[in-house]
Amino acid sequence: MDEASTAGDGQAAAPRRAAGRPRASESAHGSLAVLLNLVRGGVATTRQELEIQSELGRAVVTDRLATLLKLGLIEEGELGPALGGRAPRHVRFRPRMGIILAAVLDHSSLAVGVSDLTGRLLAEHHEAAELAAGPEPVVQRLATLFAWMLEEHGSEGGIWGIGLAVPGAVEKPDGQRLFAPALTAFQNWDGFPFIEQLATLVGAPVWVRSGVQTMTMGELKSGSGIGLTDMIFVKLGRSISAGVISEGALHRGAQGAAGLIGYTFTEGGTLETVAGSEALAREARQAAESDRSPYLASVLARSGEVTVTDAGHGAQLGDPFCIDLLGRCGRAVGEILAPLANLLNPSLIVLGGSVAETGDILLAAVREAVYRQSHPVVTRDLRIVRSQMGGSAGLVGAAQVVAEALFDAKFLQGWITLGSPREHPEFKDFLARAALDTGTRPAKPRPPGGTLA
Amino acid sequence: MAITGLGPHGERAVPADQIGLSDADADAARNRHFSVAVVLHTTMSDWAKQELAGIVATLGRYGAAVVEVIDCGFDVDRQIAELQRLVSEPVDAVISIPIGSARAADAHRAIAAAGKKLLLLDNAPTGMLPGKDYVSVISTDNFGLGQIGAELLAPHVAEGGKIGVLAYGVDFFATHEREIAFRKWIATHRPDLSLVRGKFADVSQAKAATAGLLQANPDLAGLFAVWDVPAAGAVAAIREAGKTVPVTTVDLGNDVAADLAAGGLIKGIAAQLPYDQGVAAGIATILGLIDRQPPPWIALPGLSVTSANVVEAYQLVWRAPAPTALLKARKARKSIS
Repeated sequence: MDEASTAGDGQAAAPRRAAGRPRASESAHGSLAVLLNLVRGGVATTRQELEIQSELGRAVVTDRLATLLKLGLIEEGELGPALGGRAPRHVRFRPRMGIILAAVLDHSSLAVGVSDLTGRLLAEHHEAAELAAGPEPVVQRLATLFAWMLEEHGSEGGIWGIGLAVPGAVEKPDGQRLFAPALTAFQNWDGFPFIEQLATLVGAPVWVRSGVQTMTMGELKSGSGIGLTDMIFVKLGRSISAGVISEGALHRGAQGAAGLIGYTFTEGGTLETVAGSEALAREARQAAESDRSPYLASVLARSGEVTVTDAGHGAQLGDPFCIDLLGRCGRAVGEILAPLANLLNPSLIVLGGSVAETGDILLAAVREAVYRQSHPVVTRDLRIVRSQMGGSAGLVGAAQVVAEALFDAKFLQGWITLGSPREHPEFKDFLARAALDTGTRPAKPRPPGGTLA
Repeated sequence: MAITGLGPHGERAVPADQIGLSDADADAARNRHFSVAVVLHTTMSDWAKQELAGIVATLGRYGAAVVEVIDCGFDVDRQIAELQRLVSEPVDAVISIPIGSARAADAHRAIAAAGKKLLLLDNAPTGMLPGKDYVSVISTDNFGLGQIGAELLAPHVAEGGKIGVLAYGVDFFATHEREIAFRKWIATHRPDLSLVRGKFADVSQAKAATAGLLQANPDLAGLFAVWDVPAAGAVAAIREAGKTVPVTTVDLGNDVAADLAAGGLIKGIAAQLPYDQGVAAGIATILGLIDRQPPPWIALPGLSVTSANVVEAYQLVWRAPAPTALLKARKARKSIS
């Protein structure tokens, strides 16, 4: 993996040795965590390399490697080249020792995925869902889909963590609550212990981020952003928001709410009320009803509704109203993005979400507006592209959030000798508190966890 | 019927009948005389024959030649080898149905990396992305097929009964979607029913898997098989066990259609329209070849078939008159009513 994943929230994976101060890695937990992350990141894969990189003695390294092998976290690989003496045996991380589950909730759909411990997606599924109906059916649906995915892609170590993406901003936990910020993504979810129930049903810790932040992580991990350090991802859907990667790290902001650009005022209202998918669908419907767009009128007659996808398709077929609508939308978005480009100097801007998927007309309008209003140095090598990951970006990113959190040096030390993050004392405490919370609430009877169908 | 399922990356479907070529696009394509290869899991099944007929007729209409049709015989290694060979063949586009998910992905990616257009039928291996690795996926709404399978089975199962899903144990998007949708429909509309699962990795194991399911669950009151060939195996196993368990499935194959018409164990079928799917695949291929960017997820609705409409459905799906057995059963029903 990469440096960022081992560094976590500013925790140094291998602290520098200082005279007169005992090393953190001298404890069994500390040295196991250090060695595992060196192997996982491919920094050191033989005993000798591990000794050099970790600054631990031979006996300690040998002992800790034996423990990691016994825990199933690493395995022995092929022999490396001999440099005088016996050829060294490589060791490698076992990404299928556990699995990560990912879920993305949006206003009208949900998605679930399963990944290995490197965050590589093994399977995904997307379906329509009405999330305004309330949290209870959603948490049950997720548990059901997760149980099904587990049957198809289970691993010996079971589920190690769940990454959850929700619409809107997600506040950073306040320090007392390691995993679970209060979810306020939907108005009627206020106060409902969604994370507690999901963690209890699935039996694994949950990490939560905003949808746009996981999409940004996904685009960086396996989309157009691979290998880049400075990029902006813009989600153009029902809501409009941005995720920022600056010098290789996701910028979350003081409260975790960075990127809410949909609230910025532009001509005609906020960006969301001008260029959000609902605003566009409303305009498209009006055009269909007043016969200003023959294409949209035919869609309305056939299906009874008009969506932004239809407008995009109409534009591709040359319908003048649809071309104008998406051109206006792209200009509005581009005018809000230009100051961001000037401020942050990204090398890439990726547009995702249902509005971005409408095609090249919108993309061209965004490019034109950004290039016109930005400093020449800012735009010299700036690429503006459409995301090709669709809804998969959020799933890949949610899995990536968990992959990084599980092996964050501080968290890793809490579970490594116990063999699984599910055994982490803080997670056990979390489950106990959740059970207490549920016990004191007048809860409706619920089916047992992990039921199929 | 509406399209209920989302695409492999959560895309909203564009219905197949909404994609087309303008006269200018059609002329542009004809002038370029494209060459296309088709890679199928099998060319022996009725589904594959109709799918191919739709593809070939459509490509022919727009001046493109189908220069190769490859039968992979359900063998993923063979598919990988054939795709690796096609990379250096002078074809402009490849239409393929990926067998399995993870293993076939890289070989498919290599087609797009070589500058050829790749169109996928039914299945997009996890991790492959539209625009980068392929042009479009053209598929029946498999989620909808699973819902139809559940809707048609439910009336034949008494309250509180136990029903089974005969699932495909291979990582394949289309059959996964059918199973998930079947389960969801039952959980929503018939929460009184309980569900068990049998699994086969090869169609030849479907009969044995059903026999095992019946042995472990003697009270099984209904079964959904994820397509017609394993359903036929399931019917044989149920008969051998001396039971009468109602079955629904996907695809209007001859065996299950005859059983449905004769009032056998098959109670309903969610049918695909493979010829129409082939036509849509042909149009999407041409659009891709002239850089008109067809939608990433093009879907066709499924068709709900019972004994009451099996003859008409047969004609629609197979574009041929129904066999005598089906017509006789229809006549018998007519005289009763």
